[in-house]
Order: sequence, then structure tokens, then C-alpha cells
Amino acid sequence: MAQATNGKMTKLLNTPLKVFTLYALVVLAGSIPAYYYIVNRIWLSEIDMHNKFVKRKIEKELNTIAINDTILAQNIRLWSHIEPGINLQPVAESTRKNDSRYTVMKSTVLHSKRLNRFRGLSSYLTINGKWYHLTVETNVEETDEVISNIAFVTIGFFILLVIGFIGLNQRISAKLWQPFYNTLNQIKTFDLSSRVPIAFEKTNIVEFEELNNSLQKLIDKNRATYQEQKEFTENASHELQTPLAIIQSKLDLLLQSKSLTANESEIIEAAHKALARTSRINKNLLLLSKIENQQFVDTEMMNVSQLVTDSLAFLAEHSETRNIVIEMRVEEYVYMEGNRILLEILINNLLMNAVRHNKDNGLIRVDFSKQGFIVANTGISNALNEASLFKRFSSSSSQTPGSGLGLAIVKQICSRYHWQIGYSFDNGFHTFSTSF
Amino acid sequence: MKIIIIEDEPELAKSIADYLASENYLCEFATSFHEALEKVTTYEYNCILLDLMLPGGDGMSILEELKKQNKQDGVIIISAKNALDDKIKGLHLGADDYLAKPFHLSELAARIYSVIRRRQFANANIIQQNELQIDLLAKTLLIHNTPVVLTKKEFGLLLFFMGNKNRVISKNALAEHLSGDLADMLDNHDFVYAHIKNLKKKLTEAGCENYLKTVYGTGYKWEND
Repeated sequence: MAQATNGKMTKLLNTPLKVFTLYALVVLAGSIPAYYYIVNRIWLSEIDMHNKFVKRKIEKELNTIAINDTILAQNIRLWSHIEPGINLQPVAESTRKNDSRYTVMKSTVLHSKRLNRFRGLSSYLTINGKWYHLTVETNVEETDEVISNIAFVTIGFFILLVIGFIGLNQRISAKLWQPFYNTLNQIKTFDLSSRVPIAFEKTNIVEFEELNNSLQKLIDKNRATYQEQKEFTENASHELQTPLAIIQSKLDLLLQSKSLTANESEIIEAAHKALARTSRINKNLLLLSKIENQQFVDTEMMNVSQLVTDSLAFLAEHSETRNIVIEMRVEEYVYMEGNRILLEILINNLLMNAVRHNKDNGLIRVDFSKQGFIVANTGISNALNEASLFKRFSSSSSQTPGSGLGLAIVKQICSRYHWQIGYSFDNGFHTFSTSF
Repeated sequence: MKIIIIEDEPELAKSIADYLASENYLCEFATSFHEALEKVTTYEYNCILLDLMLPGGDGMSILEELKKQNKQDGVIIISAKNALDDKIKGLHLGADDYLAKPFHLSELAARIYSVIRRRQFANANIIQQNELQIDLLAKTLLIHNTPVVLTKKEFGLLLFFMGNKNRVISKNALAEHLSGDLADMLDNHDFVYAHIKNLKKKLTEAGCENYLKTVYGTGYKWEND
């Protein structure tokens, strides 16, 4: 089965993390101009108040001192020189306007090249009954400096948020989603054909509990169906045995008839053959369902090398009649634990196939060791369809009427003992390798 | 020789009885558990053919009862189950043999023959037929008092024919007898012919009359009156 792990797959918890991070980024980025706007406004209004205060102070102080106009003009000039931010000019009353505030960029004396931002107040006041135009300009922090400071702090907070998200996410993943991952692992390891029922851990989260319950129901139902199907095969095969036995016995009796002609005898023989094949299929179906139903529970430690040698010895007479050469390399005294009958069937089926599907004057190579059992044989000159090879009734060779179940049984036995069975075709050899 | 066929399938029981009739066997029938139990505990039989799945009870219980009563009848289980557990349990409970359905009547006859002989001639089990003398315990053959060396398979074939005298045996039955379950996988039964040929040759060379006949090219028959 193809694992669904392409590049676009992400873990469940990483998806909200990404979205949250993106959202935080947008919000924080949006907050920078907002902060700037607010800070700037507070700042300007503070400076405006300050400027107003300066104006009031000047007006009050100059009116209380009560000096004459010449000295006042001299002082104003001196003052303008020392404090360029404050400018006081005598004006005609007619030019008087309402107070106004403004922002201006200009260079200070000290930093002549750099432009600084100033907030100014333009106002009119009377000193000693004469009208003066007063401008007070106070240096304000530059816009880019304000923005960069705010941005700097904001980025700092953003980083803190992301670290927090990742940390929290991991904790959530470890705790909150644990039941989900438990369930997932249970399902991953679940095998319908295994007899072990699945049991989900209890969880106090409603959704997970619901998920578990639904899965439990689904699985139980499937198991029941599967069980029924298996039992059906077994029962059906059983039920067929008796009628088959009757037919067989009747044919045997018929063969005893004194008046039998050669022709009739051939008919009986043909029927016998077909019947033998039917009972063979039936027996093998029964065997398959028995293996699936785990009915071969007895295990023993046995010399498997001996089983292989015995089977080869038995096959020798069959291979010899067709002039098939068997090259064998059997490691001696390989002991394995398993069910004797199943192991015999596995070995016999593989070796028997190598003889049956071989060509006359062919070759069989048998390699048995602790690692595995490899049977290679010559035969038809093209590769068999591996995908269907181990399926029931998918005999890819029609001229040899086997039961069509031999390899399915081999596969079933292998999976029972968690062995790997594979097929390959190379250099004219069909190779079946079992690795223990 | 008295044989009881405990089998609830009448047609199968009838076939068995028909096949065995020519061999001086007297067959009785039992079709249910209780009938079977009553008969086997009341009478003596040379051989009991026991189906395990019977209406009214499990055939195993009959075996247990026979064992309890220390009865010496030979028992062959004929079962549709072919379950190893049953086989082991049955043999453990004193059954002599176990035959899975479907089986060839010739195979059954050979086994009955063997069981009865074992029961009757426990110590000196020798079959004498004209010039042939077969020692079942030592697994040797004498023809005109001269030993003839047979392979295991040839000896098996000879015994098979002894249990099926004057009856036609199909090649299939012989193949299954020779190779057991593996015969299932062999499409080609020519190996039977090879063994028969060798057996015949050895018998003829030792001066044995030709009892073994080929019938219509499909089967064999051991003729002896």
C-alpha cells in the first residue's frame, strides 16, 4: 500500500500553528502604524501644550517686568539668537490671526545637514499694549525613528509569540492529542485476520471517545463479517466432503463391474481424475481457511533441513521421469519452531511447483539455509504475474490443472510466521524465495 | 469377518458394504449414535468403521466407551473433518487408523485388511498365498521360499493388492496410496506405472505366477482364487 506522504502533507497541529503565526504577524504588523499614530498624537499634543505654556509664560513674564520697548527689542533679538526655537516679532494689530499649530522640517544649527522635525505654535500676544507675533518651535522625535523603535519592539514581541506558540503546541500535541495518536497507532497495527480484538484506551475527551466508539463498532462489524465468511468457507468445504466421498465410492464400485468395456472404464477414469481435482481444491480450501482460522496451533522445534531433504527425495522420482536435474544446497541441522504440518506443506508446495511447472530436461536449484528457502526452476520463458501469483485460483499456467491454491497456501503460511515470500524471474529461472 | 459401518450417509455405507461383500466380510450398519453405541457394546466385530459426526452424538464417545469396556475390536475412523486433533485424539483413544473423506474404497479395504490381520495375528503375521509368503512384521517377501528384495513402495503396493484381491483398483487410488497427500499435487500418475512395472518384474523373475493384471490400461487387478 502506498504511504500517503507527499511533500504537501503536514501534521495536524502544524496547520493551526502556521495560521496563528501568520495571524499574529498580520496583527502585529498592523499595530506598528497604529502605535505610531497614537504615540505621535500624544507626543504632538503634549508639545502643543508645552508650546502654549511657553507662550503664556512669555506673555506673563514680559508684561510683569514692565521694560521699555527699546530694551525689549534688544532682549528679543538676543533671545532669538540664543533660542532659535522662539521667535517674537512686533506686528500690526490688523495682521493678527487666530492661533495655529504646524509641523515643520528644518535643520538645527548643530546638525545643519540633517533635517529635524519641529512642532510649532504660531500665536499673537500683546506686550505693553503692542501686538507681537510669537512662534514657538519644539523639536519632535523624527517619524522614522519612532516607527523603527516601535517596529523593533513589535518584532521582539512577535518572536516571543512564535516561541510561545511552538512551545504550547508541543505541549498540546503531547497531552491533548495523545488519545488521538493512541487510536491511530491501534488502527495502524490492526489486522483483520488476526484474532486479537482491538481495544481503544478510554479518554475523557468527548470527540475522541466518540471516534473510538465509532471505530470500535465499525471494526467489530467487519470482524464479524470476516469471521462469518471464513466459517462459511470451512463449513462449505466440510459439507462437500461427504457427497464427494459418495461419488468416489460409487465410481470405485462401478469400476468393479464385470461387464465394463474399455471405453466405459476410460470414462470412469476421467471422472475419477476430475473428482480427484475437485476434492483437492476442496481440501486446499479447507486447509486455507484452517490456517486463517489459526487451527494449527501446535508448534515444535524440528529439523527443517530434514523436511527439505525428505521432500526432495520424494520428488526425485517425479523429476527423474522428466529428466529434470535438481541442484541442491541444503544447510544441515537447521532447527526451527513451527507447526510441522504447515512447514511440510510450505516446502512441498514450493518444491512440487518447481517440478510441475518445469519443462522436460529442466533444472531446479534449491537453496536452504537459516536465512531462507530459495527454489528456482526453469519453465515457461516469460515472467509470471507477481501481483496475482499468490492469490487464490489465479494459476497462471492453464495446462497444468493444479488446485490453484498452492501458492495462496504458501503465502498464508508465510504470513502466519511473518516470513517474506517473493517471486522473481531472471535468466530463464522462476525464483521463489522465502526469508525467515 | 464381521464389520460394522457406523455412518449416517446411507449411500456411502452401502457402497462400502458392496465393495467389501466379495471379500467374505459381513457388514452391519448403524446410522445414529445410539444405534451404534448399542451395537458395538453388545456384539463383537472384527472391524468398526466409525464416522465421527453422527446424529445424536460424537463418534469419539463411542471410542471412549469401547476403551472403557476394554473391547478389542479394530477401529478405523472415517471422517470428513481431516483435523489433526481428531486424528491424534482418535488414535490415542485406541482407534487403529484414520481415513479422511473422500477416500478410495480400495484404500479403505486395504486398511481394513491390515487392521484385521494385526488384531488376529499379532505375533506371527504372515500372509501365505500359493508361492508367495509375506511377513508383515518383518516386511519381507519370500517366493518359493527365496527372499525377494522389494523397495518400501513396492512392498506397500503388494500389501495394497492383498487387501483388494480380485478387484479393479484405479491408478488414482494407487497414486494416493503411494504418495499420500502429495498425490494431490501430482497431475501425472505415471510414477505408479513405474513402480508396478518394477514390482511385476521382480515377482516374475523370482518365478511367481502373474497375478497382477492390467485392466483396460486404466487400473490394476490382483487375480487369485
